[in-house]
Amino acid sequence: MRLTLNRRSFLTAAAALPLMPRMAAAGTPLNFQASWLNDAEFSGYYVAMDQGYYKAEGLDVAYAAGGPDVIPESTLIAGKADLTLTTPDTTIQAITIQGAKFKIIGTQYQKNPVGIVSLAKNPLKTPADLVGKTIAVPPVNTISVQAMLKMNNIDVTKVNIVPYEYDPTPLIKGEVDGTLDFVTNVPYSIKLAGEEATSFLLYDFGYTLFNDTVVVTEDTLKAKRKELVAWLRASRKGWTENLADPTIWPPKWKDTYFAGNGREIDNEVFYNTAQKPLIDSDKGIFSMSEEAIAANIAALSAVGIAATRDMFDTTLLEEI
Amino acid sequence: MEAKPHTLRNLAILLALWEVGGRLRLIAGGALPSLSAIFVKLWADRADYPNHVWATLEASGLGFVIGNVVAILAGILFVLSPRALRLARGFNIAIFALPPIVIAPILALVLQGMTPRVTLAAIGVYFVTMSATVVGLSQYDRRAADVVLAYGGGPGKVLRLVQMRGAVPAILSGFRVAAPNAVLGAILAEFGGGGRWGLGAYLLGSLGRADPPRLWGIGLVATAIAGLSYAVFATLSVRMLGASRAITLNPAPPAGPPVAEPLALRLATAAASVALPFVIWWGVLKLLSAPEMIAKTPWAVVTYLFLSDASPLAREKLFSALSETLPITGIGLISGLAFAFVLAVSGRLFPNLTRAFLPVALVTQTMPLVALTPLLVLMLGRGTGLTLWVTISVTFFPAYVMLAQGLAQVPQSAMDLPRAYGASAWRELRLVSIPASMPWLFAATRLTVPRALLGVMIAEWLATGKGLGNLLNQSRGYLDFGMIWSVAATTVILSVIFYQVVLMFERRVLVRMGMTPSE
Repeated sequence: MRLTLNRRSFLTAAAALPLMPRMAAAGTPLNFQASWLNDAEFSGYYVAMDQGYYKAEGLDVAYAAGGPDVIPESTLIAGKADLTLTTPDTTIQAITIQGAKFKIIGTQYQKNPVGIVSLAKNPLKTPADLVGKTIAVPPVNTISVQAMLKMNNIDVTKVNIVPYEYDPTPLIKGEVDGTLDFVTNVPYSIKLAGEEATSFLLYDFGYTLFNDTVVVTEDTLKAKRKELVAWLRASRKGWTENLADPTIWPPKWKDTYFAGNGREIDNEVFYNTAQKPLIDSDKGIFSMSEEAIAANIAALSAVGIAATRDMFDTTLLEEI
Repeated sequence: MEAKPHTLRNLAILLALWEVGGRLRLIAGGALPSLSAIFVKLWADRADYPNHVWATLEASGLGFVIGNVVAILAGILFVLSPRALRLARGFNIAIFALPPIVIAPILALVLQGMTPRVTLAAIGVYFVTMSATVVGLSQYDRRAADVVLAYGGGPGKVLRLVQMRGAVPAILSGFRVAAPNAVLGAILAEFGGGGRWGLGAYLLGSLGRADPPRLWGIGLVATAIAGLSYAVFATLSVRMLGASRAITLNPAPPAGPPVAEPLALRLATAAASVALPFVIWWGVLKLLSAPEMIAKTPWAVVTYLFLSDASPLAREKLFSALSETLPITGIGLISGLAFAFVLAVSGRLFPNLTRAFLPVALVTQTMPLVALTPLLVLMLGRGTGLTLWVTISVTFFPAYVMLAQGLAQVPQSAMDLPRAYGASAWRELRLVSIPASMPWLFAATRLTVPRALLGVMIAEWLATGKGLGNLLNQSRGYLDFGMIWSVAATTVILSVIFYQVVLMFERRVLVRMGMTPSE
């Protein structure tokens, strides 16, 4: 069989092409790049997708999982994503050093979940305990640990920092004394391995940063402001519902979002429960109070990153 | 093969030692799981595997096909036009020298979806198959070609009827090495590049569980895929060889020396060969219309390192990282070669022991090193010992294969002479076999240089936190795209320079010894 297409029918088909996506799509497409692979860290967005909150706002959200080589900010620059979740220190450095045109329009974590995790039998409870110890830190976060040490007047050279590849086995076996990790997650694995974990947040010792800040480019902010507000509204709804009882939702995603992610559902429930106090805010999830923004700017200036108030745009949150 | 029962027995002893060591938690406080624990875990996780394995097969299969099609077409072009081969020299070596851990984050920056995985798999395939194609097409039986020419056929007919048929076994044996490369490339891209499915993604998700049997299970499944694809093409290659090998020796003299070209033309070709990789680098970025901020062209890297206000600082960072990485790379290179050499020689002296060791050696080639990190740091610490271990494990295998091949090809009559005079095996080796396999030793060195640099960078990235490997990782944290590209460019350029230095040395020494260099 041969398929032939004469010029006229080709032109008709070509003319119809631009209309097709609009007919097929459920709403305005919005590409969202997450900062890590699928786990409880992103529960609120899964609820919003499952419950149709984005659809109800007229959005067709495409969700992409992240990984160690995925630099969330670069997906915005490359135009692969409209909005993403970042750590404020990298985003603001991209603004100040690379001249990237980013705006932070909200934050998932009011308090950064990053902390020093150690074993209860060899506990590290304050920055002062780190002196003379070996800490495994993902190379991308070394800057944060050094900043926190400086803020607490601890000589950076007195702490031995080695790379961390997300596997806590060396900590459990005592090869390192502590690791830098999400305190919401890794204590579960340590418990499973028959040890008890203890931890402290960098946030509680002066490194007062948000985490998973919602970031867009200035262009997207101009072009899709309405959609971004709608996304924040739907996501907040999803997060509120998820955190109302953090044990309810993760088991439902056993065969969907969490399928094959290599972890147990109990781990995700632990994670979801532990992150609740770091996300909750009396002004609503994602909110950035003036006080908190000032604390971020102060902490960053201690590391030599010149953050300013205008990098944070709180006006979209007001429109929710 | 009367040695077979011994080999099996030795292998069984090794596996039993592993089981006991794992059971009694003898190694690194239990960080090496027992074989049975790994299989129990594999069985428990069986529902997770199909999707991950399928995704890895899909990406590596597609990369394998694309990489091979390009490689075979390029190989044919190079055989038809020696000038094209000389022009593409720089490009070919650069592709071979690209360290995967450096290129993976860059691919994740500029490509999307499945393409980084497919690309990394294809890059792993290209050099091996291209070289095999060129060798296969060049070494045909000239008598058969003469027959075609005598009956009025042209060079095209010779290529189709004689060279292509003769090249099939060589190309298939290239596929044999290329297939595991494709699998490993895809897994590395899956590990870093985001996305839900693939053994690399599964490995990443499993790291935080502190569960060595799971990590080893994933590693062994990856090994099985790579090993199976190796076995399939090895079998095919042997079958085809029987059908196409010449029955008698070819008495025709080899083709005469190439016609000398004017110096200016030769220099121009050499210069173009150096320029080509940079032109392709620039062209691909333009073609992808990747944004300037993240996708740095060669000129942008020059600007970053030499012409901007921050250049002195960037250069200082790069040089201090290089000064940490390079010395240990030299030591690692020598250790890797020495180990390969000892293995190849002991393969001659104690074939049974060596044969039992080979499956273990194969596992070290396909096991993702990230999964082994806890075990390695617990056993070796985070210093020079670990760096050397990782470098040796990354370098020795290709060098061993090459050296063993060299030792095997020493003519029987040359070995008979010392034996007739009652020399020991060791003395024969020293007087005849080792000098005779010098060309292979050099070829092995050339192959090993880029891998030694890769090995050191992997160790720095995973465990020691020093040098180029660490600089690359930290630059990602600072979104310092200029530095990411500078590290990538520097490692490739260095690898190519080392490769050329060994090649020059090789030509001098071999000419003095009265041998022909293999390239």
